[in-house]
Amino acid sequence: MNARLIGASIKRMTLARQRRFVTPHPDETLEALAARALPDAPLADAVDQIRAWNLHIFAMRKPRGLMLGSDVVFVEPPLT
Amino acid sequence: MFDLIIAGGTVVDGTGAKGFIGDVAVKDGRIAAVGERLDGDARRTIDATGRVVAPGFIDPHTHFDVQLLWDGAARPALAHGITAVVPGNCSLSLAPLRAKDRRALVGMFQQIEEMPPEAFSEAFEWTWEDFAGYREAIEPGLSINVAPLVGHSVIRLWVMGEAANQRAATPDEVAAMQDLLRQSLDAGAVGLSTSFVDVDENGRPVPSRFADFSELDALSAVLGEQRRMLQIVPEFYATDITIARVDQLAELSLKHGIPTTFSPLFDNRLAPENVSRVLTRVEEQFARGAQVWPQMQTRPIDISFSLLRPSLFFARFPRWVRVLRLPLPERIAALKNAEIADKMIEDAGPDGGMAAFGELVVRAGEAPEHLVGRTLAEIAAERGQSPARALIDVSLEHGLDVAFVAASRGHDDTSRIGPMLASPFVHIGASDGGAHLASFATYGDTGYLFSEFVRGSGALSLEQAVRKITSDTARIWGLKGRGELKPGFAADVVVFDPDTIARGEERPEFDMPGDGMRYVRDSSGVETVVVNGEVAWEGGRYTDAKSGVICPLN
Repeated sequence: MNARLIGASIKRMTLARQRRFVTPHPDETLEALAARALPDAPLADAVDQIRAWNLHIFAMRKPRGLMLGSDVVFVEPPLT
Repeated sequence: MFDLIIAGGTVVDGTGAKGFIGDVAVKDGRIAAVGERLDGDARRTIDATGRVVAPGFIDPHTHFDVQLLWDGAARPALAHGITAVVPGNCSLSLAPLRAKDRRALVGMFQQIEEMPPEAFSEAFEWTWEDFAGYREAIEPGLSINVAPLVGHSVIRLWVMGEAANQRAATPDEVAAMQDLLRQSLDAGAVGLSTSFVDVDENGRPVPSRFADFSELDALSAVLGEQRRMLQIVPEFYATDITIARVDQLAELSLKHGIPTTFSPLFDNRLAPENVSRVLTRVEEQFARGAQVWPQMQTRPIDISFSLLRPSLFFARFPRWVRVLRLPLPERIAALKNAEIADKMIEDAGPDGGMAAFGELVVRAGEAPEHLVGRTLAEIAAERGQSPARALIDVSLEHGLDVAFVAASRGHDDTSRIGPMLASPFVHIGASDGGAHLASFATYGDTGYLFSEFVRGSGALSLEQAVRKITSDTARIWGLKGRGELKPGFAADVVVFDPDTIARGEERPEFDMPGDGMRYVRDSSGVETVVVNGEVAWEGGRYTDAKSGVICPLN
């Protein structure tokens, strides 16, 4: 479950679409997660987008940006 | 001969069926008979004419873990008609815990649940390390039934030591956690609790937050062996994240065949679509066969605090927390230090703390009469100060002993809550009983349910309300033979006046170890509480009954 897009998998089960997310792999860096989640985007852009879509990790948390294994990391902006 | 007959009351049996005038007979700790008019003698008869006779209420979200060591009634929960409580929520339990890790756990309880360290050092001896030992420590003194969760953070501490809040677990460590969880379930734990939001006393995420999803999946597999509960604290301040957690719980529920629950779920004007969006997702997941139960409180949270003690109210402002944790002389000196005070005020926001503190109201008590009932915004305007500056200065002028109330945190519009509580997908809970001792009273949510939403708005019928906090709760949590007035079920019974049952006013009580203060609420309208056939509370007094047990599970 770590490595897949949970929202996408659930969509196949006829649930309403929700905002897609991933969870970090053990010791995964932000750059590695961004490359995994947004493989078609330039890395710098992907990192910036992940930061912008996850203020609960990259703005509100202290220490700021500490990614935890249990985190929900959104890979797209809010749907509404 | 019966041991007890409760006669002539309106029997509301917990199933949701319409109440009827009748009798309830008890023998050997169990319900022996229920009917319109029972024949047979009893050693004691209680006249319940004009009263409701219902199953004892069950509180599924508490932190009575430590209080149960010196107070087996979890006072005042029992007096409110609560006959069973679930402690061990939010990843924190008192077992399994090695002696060397006690300090770390106390720090987490202090930070997250606002429980004083004296509560862990002055009223009991630590005689256990494993879960079976904790059970042995509390069970002989219980007047109330207990269905304890085991905390994910302490399981990690046991297996990983200091690394518990530093990294992911290795496969061997996960296997060791599985074994420890299995032992705890075998010793009577009702399930596992975990947290995605809490921090320890140093502001560092608690150990459970360092677990990746595969660890939680592995632990849920152990829960699945016995169909036990997984409880989580989600990021309740953000709807999208809460929905993501609902989806994760649903995956675990479906994969392992377990019930899951998350708490709390708040309704607030800052996010008016939160509950409807989350409940829609919950309904979708139930339709797939998952069990994901959102817990909602019945009441708003009104936080009281003064600068005499740290409070969760300041959780967003670490500098304030650090200063308010200083010993009193140093704290006063720091607040008088212009450089430190200026930084605190700066942290309160560019508006001088208007948004953060402006709506605070001065509470009656030690404050001067002319301040009581006024908002900090009003007081600040009168003094020509910012609210943050006024908060510091007014407090300093009165030895820091000026209490403020931050009202309606959590739910902020009671008129919206009744229909939400009535939803079949909402689990009434999240009281936090036994925690947040000096911030607000976590007792009387059941009385509030009846006074506000049955007698008041009528959002729930009497029978619906009783069912929500009795048989529904027992079924969700797998409590065997509880929650209904039915022959063979445990004789947990509450007799109450439907016209007056309510929670009392919040008041300070100085009954914590080390002369510590906590806010409590007395009950009204609750006349008799029976636990496993023994009268445990009646006529406004606790009895000597010690008939509580660790709840047997389905």
